[in-house]
Amino acid sequence: MDARLAAMIGYAILNVILVLLVAPLFEGVVRKLTAKIQSRQGPPLRQPYYDLLKLLGKEDLESGEVPGMQRAAASAALVVILSVATLVPMGGPAPLHEAADVILLIYLITLCGISTLLGALAAGSTYSLLGMSREMMTMMILEPLLAVAIVIGAVHTHSLRLPTVLNGSAYAEGAVPLAGLLMALVLLLALQAFVGRVPFDISEAETEIMEGPFIEYSGAKLALFKYVRMAKLVVYSALFVALFVPWGNTWFYPANLVLFLGKVFVLVLIVTVVGATHARYRIDQALRYYAGLFAAAMVALVLAVFGY
Amino acid sequence: MSWLSKLKETSICLQAGRVTLPYPAAPRPTPPRFRGRPIFDPAKCIGCAGCANNCPAREILVLDVCQEIRIIKYLGRRCTYCGRCADVCPEKAITMSQEFETASNDIHDLTQEMELFMGTCQRCGRCFTEPGPLEQLKLKGYRFDALAEEKWVGRSLAYLEDQPVVRDIDIELD
Amino acid sequence: MFKTLCQKMLPRSIWVYHANSGGCNGCDIEVLNVLTPYYDVERFGIRLVGSPRHADAMLCQGPALRSTAQALRRAYEAMAHPKFVFAIGSCACGGGIWHDTYSVLGPVEKVLPVDFYIPGCPPRPEAIIYGVAVALGIVEKKVSPVKFKQAPFPIPKYHPEDLIEEEGMVVYQRMDHI
Repeated sequence: MDARLAAMIGYAILNVILVLLVAPLFEGVVRKLTAKIQSRQGPPLRQPYYDLLKLLGKEDLESGEVPGMQRAAASAALVVILSVATLVPMGGPAPLHEAADVILLIYLITLCGISTLLGALAAGSTYSLLGMSREMMTMMILEPLLAVAIVIGAVHTHSLRLPTVLNGSAYAEGAVPLAGLLMALVLLLALQAFVGRVPFDISEAETEIMEGPFIEYSGAKLALFKYVRMAKLVVYSALFVALFVPWGNTWFYPANLVLFLGKVFVLVLIVTVVGATHARYRIDQALRYYAGLFAAAMVALVLAVFGY
Repeated sequence: MSWLSKLKETSICLQAGRVTLPYPAAPRPTPPRFRGRPIFDPAKCIGCAGCANNCPAREILVLDVCQEIRIIKYLGRRCTYCGRCADVCPEKAITMSQEFETASNDIHDLTQEMELFMGTCQRCGRCFTEPGPLEQLKLKGYRFDALAEEKWVGRSLAYLEDQPVVRDIDIELD
Repeated sequence: MFKTLCQKMLPRSIWVYHANSGGCNGCDIEVLNVLTPYYDVERFGIRLVGSPRHADAMLCQGPALRSTAQALRRAYEAMAHPKFVFAIGSCACGGGIWHDTYSVLGPVEKVLPVDFYIPGCPPRPEAIIYGVAVALGIVEKKVSPVKFKQAPFPIPKYHPEDLIEEEGMVVYQRMDHI
């Protein structure tokens, strides 16, 4: 086999293992830090690992309208988010970049959301359909935001290849990087909504109000969806880091990895502090907020076309 | 913007430190007049069953096995820890202790059962019965007040005599 | 092997579903107190979830009423194995003061198999944490049945088979000695 191909596949597998191992740890950090802000002791850092293992050991109840599609949707969601992880550079180069380009990245991210929607639709209970409609509304306005960020990068670098776009390409070379800074601010404000945490966890994990799309899931299927939620935190943070703060990489892979994990940790801290101090938004308040962000993203796109 | 207020809120909450009580590790004292599980003292109990008559949840059961033996059993399941049994006991045999750690996996763990010897009369060998005021309610002729003479009648002897007016009780009615 | 690992993780992360089937809400407030920072039960890994399908343990408060007994049973059957039921408060343990009223069927035991009882009216939050700790095996339980028998007196030793019913009174048939 070609040495470069072997290196690509090696990096891809490393990325997947990294996301699988590290995602529950960051979720544990989120829960522990939320507890500290609420002046209590909180669960140990390894608690999400215990949660996932316990869920895998429970009985597999068949419930909901179409149990086969429920199982398929849960597995599909996790597989899709892990394949997104193979396309995003996490310390190394973007693995598998020969096999994909930016359009496929956008589609895979949307496919992950659609798997969640299909899972909710397959469950068929009233609460899950309600959660699904809210998730659909949220997705319809948030995925274009991410697409605009990537398109700005593509406009600046005049290419759609993964290593060039996911390498801080939002900042224009030469002129004042107005579009890049504006888009960085917009995506930072929207990061909370992408990963589905308070104040924007309107559809998923809305356990106190309506149970959301996961109401009919139990046992291993629920473990898969919880894993997807944890992995989304890492993958979206990695995308943000790759698009806007990719600097500081050396030739030494473990040092890159540590730097990458540090950057993701800073983003997780921001997500946690915002989550612990806010209350949940209603769907109409949230949509108005996203609409404002989308208008700013359009302004950034126009600026990017003009070369800023 | 509101960002500053949220950051200030975060720093205030972090300064509060950790307020969690280390409960199962360290014991937790109760307030002074806390009513926990009632404890029955068989040495002081005379078997009057006042507690059983007074319990709002019918939690204390009384069984007279024979004339001289009375079993009083406290089931713990429905007790609301109101303290009425301790309040009415004439011998102060019931104390509301400070125990609240009463969880278990078998509900019969909370029962307290006492088997008591009831004293008999030295002359005839029978036990006393207690015509308390509540029992006397069940008897006929509860009120025999003489309306014509406008006199209050002492009830305990009234139904034994022929004439309703047996004794003048000195009560100033005005 | 993987399955035993998963089953050993169950005491470390119990997800709780809260079901009040007709109580006065006193025990509800105490359970909510347990989830606040002062008594913080999340340090044991316990989390409140909103759907019985996600939960491992069900906290039942209030007696089983005629109107809610069926809903309670369906919520119990919606949970996935392995599952526990905690009966919190005197109404759930034995029917409470309301055990003979018109709408109460009885304690929660009449509808579900209960695993742990936490009596109290309402139980202190420390008592609820103690009950959870007994269930997790951290502490030992402290109550046991107490029975007191009198020292033998020179009265006729009673044999239960000699007691006969006579118009509502229980009398002796045989006396050994006075």
